[in-house]
Amino acid sequence: MNSPENGSTAVWTEGLVKRFGREVALDGVSLSVPEGGVYLLAGTNGAGKSTLLRTLLNAEQPDGGRACVLGLDTAHDGPAVRAQCGYVPETGEGAYRWLRADRFLAHIARFYPGWDNGYATQIVKRLGVRLDRPLGTLSKGQARRVQIVAALAHRPRLLLLDELTDGLDPLVRFEALSLLAAHLADTGATAILSTHLVGEVDTLVDHVGVLRAGKLVAQRPLVELMARLRRYQVDAPEDWAPPASISAAILRRDPSMGRSLRLVAAGQERDLASAIDASGATVRETSAVSLTDAVPILLQSENSHVFA
Amino acid sequence: MGFSIDPQATRPIYVQIMDEVRRLIALGDLRTDDPLPSVRQLAADLRVNHNTIVQAYRELERDDVVYVRRGQGTFVAAQREPAAGRAKLLGEVAERAATDAHRHGFTTEELIEALELAPDAKGGTNE
Repeated sequence: MNSPENGSTAVWTEGLVKRFGREVALDGVSLSVPEGGVYLLAGTNGAGKSTLLRTLLNAEQPDGGRACVLGLDTAHDGPAVRAQCGYVPETGEGAYRWLRADRFLAHIARFYPGWDNGYATQIVKRLGVRLDRPLGTLSKGQARRVQIVAALAHRPRLLLLDELTDGLDPLVRFEALSLLAAHLADTGATAILSTHLVGEVDTLVDHVGVLRAGKLVAQRPLVELMARLRRYQVDAPEDWAPPASISAAILRRDPSMGRSLRLVAAGQERDLASAIDASGATVRETSAVSLTDAVPILLQSENSHVFA
Repeated sequence: MGFSIDPQATRPIYVQIMDEVRRLIALGDLRTDDPLPSVRQLAADLRVNHNTIVQAYRELERDDVVYVRRGQGTFVAAQREPAAGRAKLLGEVAERAATDAHRHGFTTEELIEALELAPDAKGGTNE
């Protein structure tokens, strides 16, 4: 199964729906991640991030729509997809609790032809993984380190990392992210990173998707998002309201201090600035919005779909 | 190597990396034929996407600031006009200061006056 546009899309889904009882976890998600892309999947708690990642592995079967991962239809080729993915789940899966970490790694190594023992040993060393304890007795942070080794050591073509650094102390977080950056440089793998901590990965990702209540409300290459989303400092009369022509482009209106007003808006800077100027206000200054600032704005705004 | 980047800054990361290389050259911390860190190494050190580093190095190469020796890496080129590099750097510092002054409602002339009166950065007064 090939993607509709071209063969260089590593992951795409079309109208993916997943329900748990009456609750809709995924509500028509159409995701698109290019080969080699590093995709930030942002979203509030319960927005469906983990469900989406699990659906890509066919660990959850969708109730509607379809998913294509590395050219394979997940509904038919679940095992083949899983063999080419490195997955760090949000929580420990609970299997093999009685197995020592080293035996667990030796066990799963057999499933992957690409398993690199030397690389596994390197990661174990750098992350300070405790190998001599049963998985069930490990702290959250230690369990996560074992999962990172398991996900990276077979050099998969696709990494699905659900809260990669959750439970890790600050030093190990740095180490894990640095490992990931080197891993991506070495392998050119595609990665989807789900995280609340945008500031940890804002220099690593090159694509952004924002999931809200099961819907992908925004999805863009990072460069494009950053080029179109800007902050406008506006000097405006007290009763000023943004002109109708641009009100759909305004994603946030910050509480003002003094006479000046701060807007975050999406679109061509020149067009927006001249529309504001024509409405009786003056654009004093415009500035870029960092990704860390952009994500909460996209999560909250009713107008985020300008990036859908 | 004293690379520092700021993800919160408004300049793109690849531009920040280019500026850092230029700054280290202007300061003499990087000299002709010194190697730059490998793409993999710098990506790991800064926790930055490798394509960003590739882009920065490629643009530096295009600007003749660095050269690439196939299979060996990226090296600092002989700077054609070292003084011009320093002048450009100073120009950027001045531009940032002027922009900040204007944001605070001061003119460039007022900024220059204030700079002449300001205590020297090394601690002494400007006598």
